[in-house]
This record gives sequence, structure tokens and C-alpha cells, in this order.
Amino acid sequence: MLTIRDLHASVEGREILKGLTLTVQPGEVHAIMGPNGAGKSTLAAILAGREGYEVTQGEILYEGTDLLEMAPEERSHAGIFLAFQYPVEIPGVSMVQFLRAALNAHRAAKNQEPLDTAELMTLLREKAALLKLDPSFLTRSVNEGFSGGERKRAEIFQMAVLEPKLVILDETDSGLDVDALRIVAEAVNALRSPERAFLIITHYHRILQHIRPDVVHILADGRIVRSGGPELAIELEEKGYEPLLNPA
Amino acid sequence: MEVLLREGLSLEAGAAYLTQLLRQAARENLASSPLRERALEWIEGADLQLLFTEQALKEDWKYTPMDFLRQPWTLQPFEEKLSLSEQVAPLAIESFPIPKSPWEALLVGAPVHRHIMLASDTPLHIALRNLGGLALELITVQVPAGARREIQLSIEGTGLSLVRLHLHIEEGAQVRFYYPSEGAEPKSYRYLIFTAHVEGKASLHTYALTTGTGWKRDEVRVFLAGKEAAAYLHGAASIAEGGVVDTAVRVEHAAPHTESNQLFRSLVEAGGRSTFQGRIYVARSAQKTNAYQSHKALLTATTAAAYSRPQLEIFADDVRCTHGVSTGFLQGEMLLYLRTRGIPESLARQMIYGAFLAEVVEKIPSEALRRWAEAKLLRM
Repeated sequence: MLTIRDLHASVEGREILKGLTLTVQPGEVHAIMGPNGAGKSTLAAILAGREGYEVTQGEILYEGTDLLEMAPEERSHAGIFLAFQYPVEIPGVSMVQFLRAALNAHRAAKNQEPLDTAELMTLLREKAALLKLDPSFLTRSVNEGFSGGERKRAEIFQMAVLEPKLVILDETDSGLDVDALRIVAEAVNALRSPERAFLIITHYHRILQHIRPDVVHILADGRIVRSGGPELAIELEEKGYEPLLNPA
Repeated sequence: MEVLLREGLSLEAGAAYLTQLLRQAARENLASSPLRERALEWIEGADLQLLFTEQALKEDWKYTPMDFLRQPWTLQPFEEKLSLSEQVAPLAIESFPIPKSPWEALLVGAPVHRHIMLASDTPLHIALRNLGGLALELITVQVPAGARREIQLSIEGTGLSLVRLHLHIEEGAQVRFYYPSEGAEPKSYRYLIFTAHVEGKASLHTYALTTGTGWKRDEVRVFLAGKEAAAYLHGAASIAEGGVVDTAVRVEHAAPHTESNQLFRSLVEAGGRSTFQGRIYVARSAQKTNAYQSHKALLTATTAAAYSRPQLEIFADDVRCTHGVSTGFLQGEMLLYLRTRGIPESLARQMIYGAFLAEVVEKIPSEALRRWAEAKLLRM
């Protein structure tokens, strides 16, 4: 589904990713762990289509198509969803307006008619309940005045609404308390399916206790230095990054 | 005059010529009303040639292009339509302020002076159409104690329109003033000097809604004269290429327990310009004043310009007085966020721009005008 081959990327002339290779198959949950500065955010940014990153070498194929040639909205239409580490506030645009526009853009890309208001509201209420979000949050401006936990839940809510094929969670666990983390993890687990893949980018092992990954990768200095099963995350939790990165 | 024969005057020559023209019009029309006599004294006493050279005035006009002075204007009355016929003879309105600028002094001598007593609750609609020349109008409106009134001003057409409007709002009255402006004509210059005297427990809500091109300056001065008087000033402008929207607000709190709020948003496209000067003045006696001012400008291109100058002058010690100003470009992060959810870039931009102005537009109490603003400003 997603194939990253020998990806080199720079920001402002500084090389951050130095030959990253990764393959994700449908139905798999991959975790990418790494210390600060390893290139985790850069990877998420490039997958989302953020400007300011220069890919100098390598390629990213999504379902056989060159991802780097696709605009951010095209990636979304094709089924990619990025849950932001820092979801931005959009004052004056309500959650309903926002998701109406997003859903209808997805539908237009598939030559489907826009949803009518009743259908939209039914869908949104149902998904909000999944995330234990108060329905009043639908009428609030996107992320405005939301707490850190609410923002992350709102991200997962959007994911549930848009039903993507490939989900990238960029440090979704940061800033979440135990209860919020559990709610987020339950929602992600509920959406796991043989067609859907997840890429969980995280610094901590914590979220992986709730969402069990199939593969764990360790990213350091712009490359994946080790891959393994869930036990690798546990090893990391016990020993820290240091012994794994610099074995004696 | 020789300058008349030339195409394209210098700004100084244009200013001198315009001053002379206005002065002449003022003199000819200064019939015996106490208001006009007072103005005459001012006009005679002031050196109006300093109109554009005096530093204090320059400061007020610093960011406002005055290209309209480069052409010779001919006096031509407005084609006007007033929804009410209850005009009364020009009175000496005690609250009519002493002119603060030569422009203002000259306008007191405008050929037409309407004084309207808003006795009935029918909305007052002042519709002015400029036929392409220099048109002047002086309107004073009195709102009786306890009344609730709506006033709408519209200035259409091309040419240079100088309008002086003064509201006298008596004790406990509530006034909503709407000034929608669709500057479809690039050659339109609209200069409104709006003053209001608000007595105790009375309130004034204003809504200046501007879209398109053309040059526009609103000078708004509100005097909160009595205890618990309040003013809520709103402005939303969507400024296209070549458009200038200039707002200079002064709210003076002269009595205790008065309240004011200024909420202005300017969306500026490539080649457009927004200027905002907002002053809050709190007199020593105006204790327990609550005043707020917010002006934000959102620029959609690097060739758009916005100037903001908040000014607070506070002489009382027990007041709450705050302001917030911001000028910026659309945050790339917002755009990316919407796009990663599948929203195409053009729609994403429109949503963000619309939401920016919606903060003001959604506060418009008149449904018809809110709809108008949604269509014209938010492009919904």
C-alpha cells in the first residue's frame, strides 16, 4: 500500500532523512519510534504534503502512484489521513462546516452527490459518540479553545468520519492523559480492518500498550535502524534508546 | 483658476483648489443658524491652506492615498432619496461638535443641511447618489429619549462624496446605524465624518460593511456623554485591488460606567489597502469605564497593505481598557490542515477568509443586511 524507498529529504538545506525505507501493507499497524531529532516529524510532514521539505533522493509510492506528485487534497481523496501533532485552530469555521466541505470534496472526487444535512448530521453524531465527544463540539469552531486532549480526540473523530485507508498518527499520544489516550486508542482499534493500515509515529511506548502494532521500527538519524515485533517497543521502554542505537 | 486647465494637479494645488471651492460653498450657504454661525467663525479663523501640510493632520492621513486631489472637482449636488419626510428646520444641536479638521468645518457649510427628528419608528434610509462630481451633504439626526431606531446610509455612484452626519441620541434611546458600501466603481471617493453624542443609558451600534474597490474613509467619533452610555462599533471590509478602506475611530468616555467595543476586520487582497486608527479616550471622570478595541487585518497577498494604529488615552484610574491588533498573512498551516482533509485549496482559502470576516458579519442584527454581507463579503 505504501512503499518508501531510500528517501532523502532536507529542510533549509539540512538533510534530515538519509535513506529511509519502509513498506506498509493493508491491514498492518506500524509504529515508528525514535528519539527527538530522528526525523519523525519530517516523515509525517512529507507524507502530508507540507511545503518546505525537499526530497533529494528516493521515492514514495502509494498504491502504485507517486505520492510526491499529489497535492495534499488529492492524497486525502486517495485515502490518506494525517492526525496532526499540533492541530491548528480555524476560528469561525465550525466542525460541521469543515467536515461538510471535506466529506463533499471526497464525494465529488468519487463523482458522488453531496450529502444532505440530515445524512451529514446523523453521520457526525454517530462518530462523535464513538469518541465520547459532546455533540455541542460540532458547532464549535475547529479546534478553537479545545484542550490538548480534545484536539487529539477531534483528529481521531475526523479520521472516523473520513474513513481513510492509510492513517498516519503523528505523536497523537503526546499531551493526552490516561483516559483520553484510552478513548483515542479504542477508536483506532475499532477502525482497524484488513483494508486499513496505520503508521503510528511516537516517541513513547505508552500508546502501543493500547494499540498493538504488527511492526515496530526505530528511526534514528534519518534512517530506520531496527525493525521488529511489538517486543522491540517493550525493550525500548525498558532500556531507552541509547543501548539500541549504540550497542556496545 | 489656472490649475483648472491642467490635467492632473499636484496634491498641494489640488488641496488648495478644493479648499477654496468648499470655502466658497460654505460661505454662500451659511444661512443664519447658530450651528452654521459657529462653523463660520471656525472657517474664518482657521488657516485652511494648512489642510494637508500641518503635521498633526498629516499624521491622521499618513497612510491614506489622496490621489483624488489630483483632479479638479466641480460642485454637483447628490441625487438623494430619504425614506422619511420628517425633516425639520436646521436647529442648533447643542451636541454638534466643534470641528476637529478643516474638512469638517467646511462641511458644516454644505449647501444642504437636513435635520431629522426621528419621531416615528420607521427606519431612516439616507440614499445618496453622486453623479460624478464633488457632492456635499450635512445631516443631523435626533433620536428622542427611549426610542429604538434604525438608520441606514448608502452612498453610490462615482465622484468625491463628502458627507457629514451627526447623531444626537437622547437618554435611554437605542440606535443601530448601518453603512453598507459596495465600491464597484473604482473612481468613487467616499469620505464620511460621523459623530454621535450618546446620552445616559443610551446605546449606539454601528456596522460599516465595505466591499470592492474605490476609496473610502470613515471618521467616526463617538462621545459617551452620560452615565451607562454605550457604543458598539463594527466594521468588516473586503478590499480588492486598488481599494482603500480607511477607518479612524475615536470613542470618548466622558461619564462613569460607560462601555464601548470596537470590532473591525479587514481582508485585504493584492493591491488593496486598509488603514485603521482607533482611539479610546477615557476622561478623568469616566470611572468604571469598560472599553475594548480589536482590529485584525488579513492579507491575501504580499502586495496587500494594512496599517493599524491603536491609541489609548486614559485619565481615570478605575477602568478596564484593552485592545488587540493583528496584521498577518493567511497561515500556511491552516490551509494545509484543510487540504489534508480533502478540501481543495481555493475552497480552503475562501473558508478561512470568510470565517475571518464572519466574526463581524454574524453580529449584524438586520437579517437583510446580514444576507447582503454574507453574499458580498463572505461570498457564500
